[in-house]
Amino acid sequence: MTTAADLEAPAPESRPTPPGTLEIRGISKAFPNVQALLDVSLDVRSGEILALLGENGAGKSTLLKILNGDYTPDTGTLTIDGERMSFSSPRDSHRHGIRVIYQEPEIVPGVDVAENIWVGELPQRNGFVSRRKLKESVLADLRRYGFESVLPMNLMGDMLSSAQRQLVEIMRALKSNVRILALDEPTSSLTDEEVDRLFTLVRRLRSEGVAIIYVSHRIREILRLTDRVAILRDGKLVSIQPAADLTERDIVRLMVGRELQDVFRRRRSVAERIVLEARDIKSNWHRGISFQVRAGEVVGFAGLVGAGRTELAKVIFGEFPMDSGSVLVDGAEVAIKRPDDSINLGLGFAPEDRKREGLILMRSVLENTSMVILRRLTRLGFVRSREERRIASRYIERLRVRTPSLDQEVGKLSGGNQQKVVLARWLAAKPKVLILDEPTRGIDVGAKAEIFRLIDELANEGIGIVFISSDLLEILGLSDRIYVMQRGRITGELSGEGATEEQVLALAMAEHLTASTSGGVPADLAAEGQAR
Amino acid sequence: MSDVPATAVSEAARKDGILRRVINAVGVDNLSLLLALVLVIFVVYLQQPLFLSWQNLMNSLAQSIVIVGLMAIGETVVIIAGGLDISVGSVASVASVTAAIAVTSGLFGILPAGSMQLGLITGIVTGLILGTGNGLIVTILRVNPIIATLGTLAAYAGLAFLVAPGGKPVGVITQPDFTWLGSGRFVDSLPIPLLGGSPWTGIPVLFVILLVVTILVHILMKYMDFGRAIYAIGGNATAARLAGINVTRVKITMYALSGGIAGLAGVLLTGRTTSGNPINGVGFELQAITAVFLGGAATTGGKGTIVGTVLAFILVGVLNNGMNLIGINTYYQKVALGGLLIGAVAVAQWRQARAERARTRIAAASA
Repeated sequence: MTTAADLEAPAPESRPTPPGTLEIRGISKAFPNVQALLDVSLDVRSGEILALLGENGAGKSTLLKILNGDYTPDTGTLTIDGERMSFSSPRDSHRHGIRVIYQEPEIVPGVDVAENIWVGELPQRNGFVSRRKLKESVLADLRRYGFESVLPMNLMGDMLSSAQRQLVEIMRALKSNVRILALDEPTSSLTDEEVDRLFTLVRRLRSEGVAIIYVSHRIREILRLTDRVAILRDGKLVSIQPAADLTERDIVRLMVGRELQDVFRRRRSVAERIVLEARDIKSNWHRGISFQVRAGEVVGFAGLVGAGRTELAKVIFGEFPMDSGSVLVDGAEVAIKRPDDSINLGLGFAPEDRKREGLILMRSVLENTSMVILRRLTRLGFVRSREERRIASRYIERLRVRTPSLDQEVGKLSGGNQQKVVLARWLAAKPKVLILDEPTRGIDVGAKAEIFRLIDELANEGIGIVFISSDLLEILGLSDRIYVMQRGRITGELSGEGATEEQVLALAMAEHLTASTSGGVPADLAAEGQAR
Repeated sequence: MSDVPATAVSEAARKDGILRRVINAVGVDNLSLLLALVLVIFVVYLQQPLFLSWQNLMNSLAQSIVIVGLMAIGETVVIIAGGLDISVGSVASVASVTAAIAVTSGLFGILPAGSMQLGLITGIVTGLILGTGNGLIVTILRVNPIIATLGTLAAYAGLAFLVAPGGKPVGVITQPDFTWLGSGRFVDSLPIPLLGGSPWTGIPVLFVILLVVTILVHILMKYMDFGRAIYAIGGNATAARLAGINVTRVKITMYALSGGIAGLAGVLLTGRTTSGNPINGVGFELQAITAVFLGGAATTGGKGTIVGTVLAFILVGVLNNGMNLIGINTYYQKVALGGLLIGAVAVAQWRQARAERARTRIAAASA
C-alpha cells in the first residue's frame, strides 16, 4: 500500500518530503475484540486535501483520535518535518499544529460565539476580558473567511445549529496556526449552501499550505474537493490514489468491497386517500404551510437548514405550539396538544437528533423499542413482559439491529443501530403517518441502504411517509412528491419522478418578494437557534 | 466412576445459577453496597455480639430505619425521574398533626375517634395533597424542583404549626388503637425458641408497614408502566415526551406519591411519639435523600433502584445502631455518615468514568 502511495505521489523527485508533511508509518491499534487499525502508512502533505474514506468500523475515527492524541497507537510512528512525535494528549497535538474537528464539537452553552471561539484564552486587559478586542478580532476572522453572516457573533452557544457549532470549532483551530487540519464528516448536517462555503474555506486553507484530512461519507463532494483519496476497510488501507483517477463507482466498490446496486428502489402505488393534511399552519417558524400526504406515499421535504422543516414536524406532532391553521388526519380535523395526542391519532415521529430527542440512552434496547406501544402491552398497569419481548424482538430482527441482546443499553450500540431502534419503536406502533427527520444522518452506506429499503417497504404497506432530508440525492431518489421549503414557507411542489437537483435548489434558495408580512419576520438562523 | 465429575459439574452449575439469581435480584450495581453492608455487620458483630440479637435487630435497628426508609423509598422514585423532593420532612410534620387531630375528634360519626384507619387515611391524604402541590409547582409553574421543594419545605413546616390548634402538639396517648401503629407487635410469641436462644420480641408493626410499602413501590418501578415512564423521563425527558409519555401527568403523580408516603411516615411518627407534633418530621428529608444517593441513584436522573435505596438505608441504620452499641460518640457517627455518602458517590463516579472510557473505546473501534 505504501508503494502504491509512493508511485502515485505527484513528482516525488522534486519534493521528497515537502515541509509540513505528516508521515504516518505502520500504525496499528487494537481494542478488546477489534483490530481497529492494522499497519496503516500514509503521508498527508502540506497544501493538499486528502480524503479519508471507509464504512463505519473501518478505522477512520480511530486514526483521527490517534492524530488528536486521544489514543496512543500500539505500534507505528507519526512524524512531522522529520520530528518524531509521541502524542500523549490533545493539548500536545494542538501544540504541534494538529487540529481534529469532530462532528459534535464542545460548545459552551451560555456564552456567545465570540467567546466560544476564544474559550480558554480570552484576550485580557489588566486582568479583565477585553470585549472590544475580542469582538474586533473575531469579526475580522469571520469576515476573512466569509462567515460573518452565517455565524452571528453574539449568538449564544446553545442557540447554534450543528453547522454553526462546527464553524465555531473550525474558527478555534484557525486562530491557533493550524498546520494539519482533520475534518470528521463536516458536512453531514450542512445544507448545500453551507457546504459550498466550507469548501471555499478548505480550498483557501490548502492554498495557505495547510495539510487537510477530510473524512466524509459523501462520495460526490470528495471527488469535487479532494486531491487524493485514501480508503480504509476493516482497519487496513486498501487504496490511496489521486481523486482524479477515481469514479464514484470505484470508491463505493473499494469501500464496501462489493458493488452497491439500486440503493433507491421505488416500486409502490400511492393511494388516493389523504392520511395527513395541514392547512395554513402558522407558528413562530411558519407563515402559512399547507401540504397533503397520501396513504403509501413518500413525501420529501427539502430545504436549507433554517427553512423550518424540523420545526414543522414538531408543530404537527404537538411538540411545538401552533398559532393557527388546522391538521386533518384521515380527513377529520384534529386537535393535537401534546405528542401523545398525535400518537393516539396514528402519527409517528423519529426526530433528527436521536441521542438528544430519540432515545433513552441508559435504558435497554427492549424498553426503547416498546416505549410507544407500552400502553397496549399493559394489564392493570403491569407490563406483559413476555408479549413485550416477543413484539420487540420481532421488530429488532426485522430491522436487523445488531445487538447482543434485548437488554443491551441502547447507548452502547453504534449510530446506525441506534437509528434502527428508533425506527423499530415506530414500526411496532403501526402508525398511519410516519415523520422521519434526517433518518440517515451520520450513518454509513450499508445502514443507509437498509433504511431506504425500509422506507420503501413501509410505504408499500400503506403508511404515509414524511421524509425530511438535507441530502438531495436521497430526497430525489426516494420521494413520490417533494415539497421545497424556505424560511417558513413552501416555495414549491415537485413530482418525485423527474425532479432535478437544480429545480429543488432553485426553490430552496429563491428570494421572496411577496413581503406581505415584512415586519417581525424572524431571521432564519435565529429561528433555527430557538428550535434547538 | 464417571458419575463423580458429572455430579460435580451439575453442582457447580446449580451454585452458579443461584449466585446468578441473587446477583440479578440485587442488581449488579448494588453488589458493592451489599458487600459493604455485610462487612459492616461483621465488624460490628465482632465488637458487640449483641448486635445480632432479635431484640436489637427488631427493637432498635428495624424501628430506627422505618421513617427514613419510607421517605427514601418515595424520594427514590422522584430522583430517578430527575426530580428532587426536599419537602418530605415538612409534609410528614403536617400529616402527623392532621392525623392526630382526626384521631382525637373522629369523622362525623362515620369513623369514630381513636380509629387507626381514620388516622392513616387522614395522614396519607394530607401527604397526597401537599405532594400534588409540589408536582403542580414543578410542572405547571415550571419551578426547578430543588427550589420548588425548598420553598414548600419552609411553607409546609409553617403550615404544620398553623394546623395544630394553638401551634401546640396534639396528644394521642389516650387512643391505644391508633398508637398500636407505633408500638404494636405482630406474632407476640413463637411456638419454638429462636435459634441462638435470644428472646423473641415480636415483629414491629412499623417494620411491617415499611416492608409492604417497599415491596409495592419496587413492583411499581420494576413491573409497571409507571416505573418505565419514571426511568424514561429521568433518562431523557424530551425523548420520553416525543414517545408519547405524558411527562406532566407522570411527574405530578410521582410528587403526589412521594408526598403520600411522607404523609404515611408522619402518621407513624404520631403513633410512635403518641403526639401530633408540628416538628415531628424535621430533618428527615436530608437523611432520606442521603440514602437515595448512597443507594446509587444519579443526580441527573435515569438511574437508581429501590433495592439500592433499601440497602443504603439499612447500611446507615446498621452503622448508627452499631456505633451506638459499641459506644461511639454521636458526633463521630454524623461525620462517618457524611464521609460514607461522599465516598460512595466518588467511587460511583470513578466507576462510571471508567465505564465511559471503555464505551468510547468500543464506539471508536466500531465507528
